Amino acid sequence: MTPVAVMVGANRIVQAAGIIHPLGNADLPPEEEKALRRRIVERALAALRTEVVQPTVFGAGADH
Amino acid sequence: MRLELWWSEVAAVSAGTETRLSDRRLAVGLDGLTATLAADPRLDRVRIDLAHPGESCRIGRVFDVFAPRAKEEGGADFPGALGPLGRAGQGRTRALAGVAVVVTDQQLADPATLAVIDMSGPVATLSAFARTANVVISAWPAASVGRSEYLAALRQAGLRAAVHLAQAARAAPPDTLEVFDLPAPTRVPAALAGVPRVVYVFQIHSHQRPTAADEGVLYGDPVRRMLPTLVHPNEILDGAVIRGFMGRGVTTWATQNHPVIRELYARHGRTLWFAGVVLTVAHATEPERIRSAAMAAGLVVDVLGADGAVFTKIGGGAPHVDMAQTAAQCEARGVKTALIVEDMSTDGSQEGMLLFNFPGLDALVNTGSAQERVTLPPVERVIGAEGPAGEATVSYGQICGAIEQVGATCLTSRLQ
Amino acid sequence: MSALRVVVYLNQFFGQIGGEERAGVGPRAFPGPAGAARAVQQALGDAGRVVATVVSGDNHVAEAPEAAVAAILALVAAEQPDLVVAGPAFLAGRYGVACGAVCEAVESRLGVPAVTGMHAENPGVALYRRRAHIVATGADGARMLDEARRLVALGLKRARREPVGSPAEEGYFPRGVTRNTRASANAAQRATAMLLDKLAGRPVTSEVPLPDFPRVAAPPAVRDLGHAVVALVTDGGIVPVGNPDGLEPLAATRFGAYPIGGRGALDPGQYDNVHRGYDTTFVKQDPHRLVPVDVARELEREGAIGKLHETVYSTTGVATTLANSERMGREIAAQLRAARVDAVILTST
Repeated sequence: MTPVAVMVGANRIVQAAGIIHPLGNADLPPEEEKALRRRIVERALAALRTEVVQPTVFGAGADH
Repeated sequence: MRLELWWSEVAAVSAGTETRLSDRRLAVGLDGLTATLAADPRLDRVRIDLAHPGESCRIGRVFDVFAPRAKEEGGADFPGALGPLGRAGQGRTRALAGVAVVVTDQQLADPATLAVIDMSGPVATLSAFARTANVVISAWPAASVGRSEYLAALRQAGLRAAVHLAQAARAAPPDTLEVFDLPAPTRVPAALAGVPRVVYVFQIHSHQRPTAADEGVLYGDPVRRMLPTLVHPNEILDGAVIRGFMGRGVTTWATQNHPVIRELYARHGRTLWFAGVVLTVAHATEPERIRSAAMAAGLVVDVLGADGAVFTKIGGGAPHVDMAQTAAQCEARGVKTALIVEDMSTDGSQEGMLLFNFPGLDALVNTGSAQERVTLPPVERVIGAEGPAGEATVSYGQICGAIEQVGATCLTSRLQ
Repeated sequence: MSALRVVVYLNQFFGQIGGEERAGVGPRAFPGPAGAARAVQQALGDAGRVVATVVSGDNHVAEAPEAAVAAILALVAAEQPDLVVAGPAFLAGRYGVACGAVCEAVESRLGVPAVTGMHAENPGVALYRRRAHIVATGADGARMLDEARRLVALGLKRARREPVGSPAEEGYFPRGVTRNTRASANAAQRATAMLLDKLAGRPVTSEVPLPDFPRVAAPPAVRDLGHAVVALVTDGGIVPVGNPDGLEPLAATRFGAYPIGGRGALDPGQYDNVHRGYDTTFVKQDPHRLVPVDVARELEREGAIGKLHETVYSTTGVATTLANSERMGREIAAQLRAARVDAVILTST
């Protein structure tokens, strides 16, 4: 749903792992799922540390 | 590929000892049909009621509506969903006009999210099902049958009844004949090379609610990670696609009588060349959404060579984004688009109407606001539900057939 | 059909009390149609009777709008009108704003239909077009009677609870609200026709205007996350078991603030989820899939963030109105500010 976030003017937008489990993935074993969650949260921290001037999506890259 | 729909008109439906069509009157053998449907071990009890246009009657707990169709030649009924797997869309299919099979949901504890049909009164003009004689099937789940098992059984019941009724038409010649004959998109006669090539992009399911294993949508497949694909429009007119379990503003009836496909066929060879149908699903994760948008746009632009495309969506708000991303990529490649959207506003405000803002998507048609409320008057008879015979205030989205996301309805949200 | 009782609101000039030098006069009522209200009476004919004209000075309203509008409302209410007509205000800015405020108050507080009129560039239009019915007029009173007629025509429809046509038909500024109506062709036919028009280069009128959200200035980046307080917020509908705050499953008007009390993880047995817009099975099995307390605690222990804020905020983001979303966002932000939170990770489904 990142395009909606861009449209309404959120400035720091991190792509997560899906509507029904944004910070997880039920198909993964628990440790891998937690590692995925941590990666996404770390990306959020990176976004908080980054100067932005307009809605910016911090993408998933190679997670999927 | 050529499909003939042989239509028989039905002016009235009544209960009879066996199912027979004569002189535009359809007698339905209720006992026999009830017994056939109740044989499904997933169901405990089946009841069939008839509702006629103009009656002071409300049908409650509506799950889905099916159009009576029976193959006479050239394939099985609803292949993969009811009949054995094979292709749909060719040969001859019998159809009944003026009759619908309405299936109700007797398992869900709170009927507030289920739809109603009023056979008369102020909202009757909004729904096709106030004008059809409705064969209403209510079935109760057998003990310990789970939700998706029950819904799969309901769909089977609806499809079986739809075939059973249409088979009655086979005894006599049809009243009208429709021919759907469309060659492959590469075979355009030279004389029509200048007419715009138009493709329909049909979003057939939204995985906001992932499909269950027995929730077939396309030839009985639950389309779980479906990548964009191509079908011939006849396949949709002949039962290849049925609606999933979530019934927000879509009926299988409208899919079977697909208005976009019928409209493009009506104009085919004159003001446009109907260049094909792309099927997509709306995804729940961003990477899948991006992949699907890119591939679907690729099919439209590079494989079918379209000049323009019409888009529809299914489900709730998020699927607008899937549709819009695909359309935006088409526009970026010079293919013009028109999209059928819902008015998503929950407070009637202009800003809340839309969930996307891609430049170039300036040709939008809306199917109305499902949230806007309307008051229904009391009725004399209720089928499919306990109450509400009294006055009831419902949303437009709860009136089955008032809003069809594939574009079959005339309701629209106007700015004031 | 009996004649409707109509009250007209005018400023000091059109009420014939005086010019700019009388702009400070307080509200007063005159019986029957006074000053420019006569044009309204003429336009009404037998359909209505202007039972009173309420007049107030433009400065009086501009300087203390709430008190002035309350006093005007009292005078209007005393006449028990079926309809209120304010202005027209043409290009007079203070007057236009006053007319808009009076119409909005009459409708929302007295439940009486009201209409006004002014020029497109009157500041009253931008401020009030969504909250009042404003008919477009010229820049001055040169065509006063014609414009009074248009005002009255719209006013009568509203007073009689007849359906009001589109802005183009009735001559009012679009109010940014939508209403279901019936088109003559189905959506598939309309979309195909629209596409063919677009392909042929013919003009197309979209049935939905593209939205235009205001930009939000991005706050500066957090310099030192290792000393920052980070809060977790979600619109995914998580609630403690029993939903003590009654968070709505749809169209939320409120949010919950839930303490996590220093715990390192959320216990799935203590949480539920009310959101109706997605399949909540997975986030109910493991709430961290929505609110990453486990990972946030690790990061806190490792010093990657200074502190995880001990309150989690939750609401339901399905069918939420824009107005309520904005309000809740502001309210949550105010609480976070007061608690000296530096940054938020908001998880959205």
